[in-house]
Amino acid sequence: MLKEKYGAEIAEILSHYPVKRSALIPLLYLAQQDEGYVSEAAMKEIAQMLRLTPPQVYETATFYTMLNLKRVGKFHLQICKSLMCALVGSDTVIGWVKTKLGIGPGETTADGLFTLSTVECLAACGTAPMMQINEDYYERLTEETFDRILADLKKDGTCSLKTGPFMWPEAPRAQ
Amino acid sequence: MATTTDTVRLTIDGIPISVPKGTLVIEAARRVGVMIPHFCYHPKLKPDANCRMCLVEVEKMPKLQTSCSTVATEGMSVRTATTVVHDAHKSVLEFILANHPLDCPVCDQGGKCDLQDFSHQYTATGSRFAETKRIFQKEYFSPLIETQMNRCVQCLRCVRYCDEVMDVKALAPVGRGTMTEIKSFGAHPLDCEFCGGCVQICPVGAITSRLSMYEYRPWMLKRADTVCTFCGDGCQITVQTKDQQLIEVNSAQGAGRNNGDLCARGFFGFHATSHPSRITTPLIRRNGALVEATWEEALLFVAEQTKRLKLAHGPQTFGGLISGRCTNEELYLFQKFMRLTIGTNNLDSSARYGHLNGVQAMKRVQGTHRWTVTFEDITQADVLLLVGTNITETNPITGLKVKEAVKKHHATLLTIEALQPAIGTISNITNLSQHHLCVAPTQFGSAVLGLLKAVVEGNHVEGTLQQRASDYVASSSKAVQQLSWDDLTLRTGIARESFVQMAASVAGGRRVVVLPGQTLLRSQGAYGICLNLLDLLLLTGKLTETGCGFAPLAEENNDQGAIEMGAVAELLPGALDLTDQDARAQMTRAWKEEIPSMAGASLIEMIDGAHAGTIKGLFIIGENPVGSLPPQTHVKEALDKLELLVCQELFLTETALLAHVVLPAASAMEKAGTFTNTEGHVQSVRPAIDPVGDSRPDWEILSAFSVFLSAPLEYGDAKELLKEIRTVIPGYGSLGPTPIPPTVDRAAVDRYTAGGYRQDLATRYTLPARTRRPDGTVQLGLVQSLFHSGKLSTHSKGLVQIEPSGFLQMNPVDAARFALGTGNRVRLSNSRGEFTTTVKVLDRVPEGLAWLPDHFAQDALRLFDCVIDPDTKVPSYRTASVSVVKAT
Amino acid sequence: MPKHELILLKNMMQPGYTGSLQDYERAGGYQALRKVVGKVPPADVTTTVMKSGLRGRGGAGFPTGVKWGFLPKDYQGPRYLCCNADESEPGTFKDRQLIERDPHQLLEGILLACYAIGAESAYIYIRGEFVLGARILESAIAEARAAGYAGENILGTGITANVWVHRGAGAYICGEETALLESLEGKRGLPRVKPPFPATHGLYNKPTVVNNVETLANLPHIISRGPEWFSAIGSPPKSTGTRIFCVSGHVKRPGNYEVPMGVTFRELIYEEAGGMRSDKPLKAFIPGGASAPFLTPDHLDVKLDFESVAAAGSMLGSGGVTVMEEGTDMVWAALRLMEFFYHESCGKCSPCREGSSWLVQTMRRIVAKRGRMEDLETLVDLCKNIAGRTVCAFGDAEISPIMSTLKHWRPEYVLLIHEAEAANLIHLKRTMAQP
Ligand SMILES: Cc1cc2nc3c(=O)[nH]c(=O)nc-3n(C[C@H](O)[C@H](O)[C@H](O)COP(=O)(O)O)c2cc1C
Ligand code: SF4
Ligand code: FES
Repeated sequence: MLKEKYGAEIAEILSHYPVKRSALIPLLYLAQQDEGYVSEAAMKEIAQMLRLTPPQVYETATFYTMLNLKRVGKFHLQICKSLMCALVGSDTVIGWVKTKLGIGPGETTADGLFTLSTVECLAACGTAPMMQINEDYYERLTEETFDRILADLKKDGTCSLKTGPFMWPEAPRAQ
Repeated sequence: MATTTDTVRLTIDGIPISVPKGTLVIEAARRVGVMIPHFCYHPKLKPDANCRMCLVEVEKMPKLQTSCSTVATEGMSVRTATTVVHDAHKSVLEFILANHPLDCPVCDQGGKCDLQDFSHQYTATGSRFAETKRIFQKEYFSPLIETQMNRCVQCLRCVRYCDEVMDVKALAPVGRGTMTEIKSFGAHPLDCEFCGGCVQICPVGAITSRLSMYEYRPWMLKRADTVCTFCGDGCQITVQTKDQQLIEVNSAQGAGRNNGDLCARGFFGFHATSHPSRITTPLIRRNGALVEATWEEALLFVAEQTKRLKLAHGPQTFGGLISGRCTNEELYLFQKFMRLTIGTNNLDSSARYGHLNGVQAMKRVQGTHRWTVTFEDITQADVLLLVGTNITETNPITGLKVKEAVKKHHATLLTIEALQPAIGTISNITNLSQHHLCVAPTQFGSAVLGLLKAVVEGNHVEGTLQQRASDYVASSSKAVQQLSWDDLTLRTGIARESFVQMAASVAGGRRVVVLPGQTLLRSQGAYGICLNLLDLLLLTGKLTETGCGFAPLAEENNDQGAIEMGAVAELLPGALDLTDQDARAQMTRAWKEEIPSMAGASLIEMIDGAHAGTIKGLFIIGENPVGSLPPQTHVKEALDKLELLVCQELFLTETALLAHVVLPAASAMEKAGTFTNTEGHVQSVRPAIDPVGDSRPDWEILSAFSVFLSAPLEYGDAKELLKEIRTVIPGYGSLGPTPIPPTVDRAAVDRYTAGGYRQDLATRYTLPARTRRPDGTVQLGLVQSLFHSGKLSTHSKGLVQIEPSGFLQMNPVDAARFALGTGNRVRLSNSRGEFTTTVKVLDRVPEGLAWLPDHFAQDALRLFDCVIDPDTKVPSYRTASVSVVKAT
Repeated sequence: MPKHELILLKNMMQPGYTGSLQDYERAGGYQALRKVVGKVPPADVTTTVMKSGLRGRGGAGFPTGVKWGFLPKDYQGPRYLCCNADESEPGTFKDRQLIERDPHQLLEGILLACYAIGAESAYIYIRGEFVLGARILESAIAEARAAGYAGENILGTGITANVWVHRGAGAYICGEETALLESLEGKRGLPRVKPPFPATHGLYNKPTVVNNVETLANLPHIISRGPEWFSAIGSPPKSTGTRIFCVSGHVKRPGNYEVPMGVTFRELIYEEAGGMRSDKPLKAFIPGGASAPFLTPDHLDVKLDFESVAAAGSMLGSGGVTVMEEGTDMVWAALRLMEFFYHESCGKCSPCREGSSWLVQTMRRIVAKRGRMEDLETLVDLCKNIAGRTVCAFGDAEISPIMSTLKHWRPEYVLLIHEAEAANLIHLKRTMAQP
């Protein structure tokens, strides 16, 4: 039950809006953060909190691509394949995933660690090719950085190559 | 010249027209006979302009405009017939057709499909779409509704209807883009009110009824426009038949008082009367068993027995009981038969179960036996007060009017009912309520008194009334002021502040309609509470205002007709008092015969009479007292003692099983006549199929009795009967699409305020006893279910699929208290008996109460006691205190 | 050092600038807010913005002050400001930088707008993927509240301006202002039919202004330095101020460049962005995000202002400039964008919903060398039948790649189809040759 676990967060979220339904996406995020995906039980509970019917929650949840209604791997590789990234090699990056992890778009590695999704523009066209893994951006990918990212994630669950706060071209360095 | 500012003038294809401000171009066009093609537009729904089919040219606008969302403005010039517009329609249609499977040969919509029709009109040639069509995975949707989402044109009419009109929100457009699919929740089957609205409103064959799947092509069907028999709302339905088989029921948009909307009972319940267990031949009891007989034998038997008993014991040993499901013609003939042919006023109808309470109160205070408002007044009301009605379940279509008033016109909704606001699969009117008082049925009286007290104390009593009827104002004010807020709060659980706010809302309303429903009308003291509600309208000065009124909700489809036809002991046709000398004289003139003068026995009095041996013969038409009344009334023993029990029935009910003669009656699907709905609107009933087997309409049977009794009441057809009714009640009959309600009789109001109120003011301004609920008990209430109506609907294969059996509905807190969960067995008991059933936990049931649907409560009736209203003789047996124990 | 004076990127270009409240204040931040709140009547702030000539940076280029002026004057109930930080137009990545590097500049802009329009609540609708951006904004808001710039009683004036961050969840269409409002109300992000416009019936049916991040970030500068200063920059009178252009694709130095409106594409691409990456000639560029029709080397001297780009047959849009070198397959490029639009069509309007799927399937066939000559006519027809027939501008946008590439590079389509036909012919001959 989300309510018991995240009572304070939920109250905080609800306090931002004069109309309860506005809290729907934030609460769906909370559910996703909790279980890794948005479960039916969570949708029902959220419906009740917001005085909506479960179908109302469901229709909203299925409209947005970032809400996973099914489980995904521990690391969700989302590679931008829009034109701007494609011009500078995003298809190659997708190819690396295939050769290095053996998965194509929509697939998850057998160990449940990695899921690959191809996504549309993530607003990092100037630093393409790029991908988002869970919450983090990785930009200006090369095969070398890509390998390191995978290795670090497997090893430490995180990788220092993640980028941001974003600025490109970068500011001159302080003396 | 107020009208000119409220209308605008425009031209459609050069044709000038003036329309009310706010009219959509598509509507304006329709008025001049220009039909603009459309999918997503529907007059009931807010414009969504998603299909883009209805594009038109509007002068001075560079782009084509969607006529379904463009409001007509002064001087606008619209073109719908140019090449540009035609090409646009064609191209949009091409898009819509792109992904549509051309499976018309196996589509039930074929022949009545908008897409098919427009395609025929615009794109006679083949499609340029040569790509792969989208395919949706087929998922089980529901037992009654079939979806074929490949056919969906994504107009969202179904979803919007379910939300905007029904307030159920059971349908979800899932996903995005071309892959958007209409579903319920996840992969779960649809769980909703099953109003059939989505089936009716879908312009293509994406949502269809499973009850009639693959059974017909539209052009094979014969149609009959008639009226639904499942509640007092009086919805117009179109019954479609094929070779004497009932295939489907629908209702045309804009038709009838329901404007094309239906509920589950109306849409899916139509098979009730074609159930195989229908009685199709007359039955006579021989050697203790009911055996088949000919009509001749049966009629002769009844006539002989009647003559014998009448000769031996006189006419006062007879009684008659008729169902409020019969036509006006039958109700009229029934009371005439009882009063003239038999010679007694011992007669009653199902209106006795509750509706009479509301009507008698209206008669006394405002001098009418009908509403002074109509459904239109409900939709236009600015304040609606619902008392004791779970309206969306009992009178769903009147409920839709309430929803429309609140959702579309922002009326203030006030509710007093034993119901908790909770989102569920069935709409709940208290969810829309601005001010809801959740009160147990036994304390409705206290709640209404609290409201009256707040009106008086808040100085909401209308000024001129103070002068015109100072005594009345003073007495009633004094009476409520004697009540203490502490007592009121103790009984209702409602704080004073709530009453104060509600009183202010009522007083501040311009168009105030009060709707008392079955939970109130069938409860103990209901007559007095109705009077008090009328006092509320009177004191606040609303009673005589236009658009304001008191509107009790009838349970049976023709309870109102039963009263107007004089099918209750104390009333003559026209709902005139039997004791009214002028009325009696008038009837005598019309019938050319004297009406028996002795007061008649009502339902319970007849039962008691039978028990005591003073009633020896009983004619029962379509009623089942043994199945409906609690055993505490000894009804079965009483009927067992009768020397003659004649039942006219569709099914072998518990009562019919005791009869000496059972006669097969034709159902409303099989006969002509009229029904009068809850608002007093008289509508035509037309046969859709021939009478099943040897069954005959009830009026024909009565007429035949009279002939065999040598006092013929002969009529060629139902129309002739209606003609006679018109001579007795001038103007009676169907008079156009909307009722013309009576106005409040000011003389009657004056009589009431001048002293008529006095006789019972003290009693009805007294708080009902406090209901104490010992630990381990709940207050059990009999309620109506949306999916059933009496026991008739339990014969409907459609409705039985949605709700096959009864269950005890309980609040989660109580359920936890008794360690019960949905699906558990539970034993209910009190000093009168015990009953075991299954539990269903529902948020909407208030704590401390538990509900059992009427239609499956037969064996639970033994837990209830029956209290008779001293004034209206209405038996009340709707609540009982019971102990709850989990059964293993 | 950049050749042009920077306005929006100025702070962040200072070495060591972190975007903290302290840094922002040190750089002169929140002076504009102090200057007007409680001192200058809100209507005058609107007038100032009107005078500056500031036009929306979100895509449509609507004059900001004029938009604010549409709010009902005498309306008593709540009003809302929504900051459009959805930034999902392919090719655009400037708002992300403004948010992550100088959040207070944006916040000050938001607070100024709230003050001007009388909104007590502002929502920053930020695309869901910008998790970091959302966090940075959250902490900036907390800082601003603590310092009394935002919240219940800003700068002790008794005026309320609460700012909330609201994350989207992956839907390009939610950048469209009415879809954004629907989404913010917790619904599916489907654009609303207009009229009524958000100015009168916006968030929760209340008067609402929706402005882009960059638009709002300009406000502190306009208020501090005056409308005259601003309107002198760029190519007045219609395109004033600077714009941040997001250069991507085959250039040496892709990235965000702030230049006054009116510089040429040539200058932007060859000077700011360092020219073509491998010294192959430029073949095509998109001047204003995926929704803007492609332009050719002939258009390199077109000025980067609203009118000039429109006159060249495209639009300035969101400022995303994507450069393609010689050798880029234009049919493939158009397909990539078409796939984006197909993926993002919300599905509300039939022409856009069905058209995008039809177009994408046809394009895929052509690229896969299974095209037919009549496909080209169908493509044009379908595009024309989508344009102008949808609820929102998405319909007009989605046809840009195909229409413009067909216009400028039709032979590439024809070649693919010829190859398809040739392949068919070979196949046919082979089958016929078999005994
Ligand atoms: C399909 C579509 C997508 C859009 N996406 C964005 C966006 O991501 N960010 C944005 O600021 N404006 C976007 N817009 C423009 C907005 O509708 C709106 O014009 C803008 O937010 C207004 O702000 P401005 O006046 O400051 O530009 C989009 C418009 C359309 C039709
Ligand atoms: S199922 Fe029917 S009503 Fe519903 S969106 Fe599809 S076509 Fe429209
Ligand atoms: S009927 Fe007008 S857009 Fe569908």
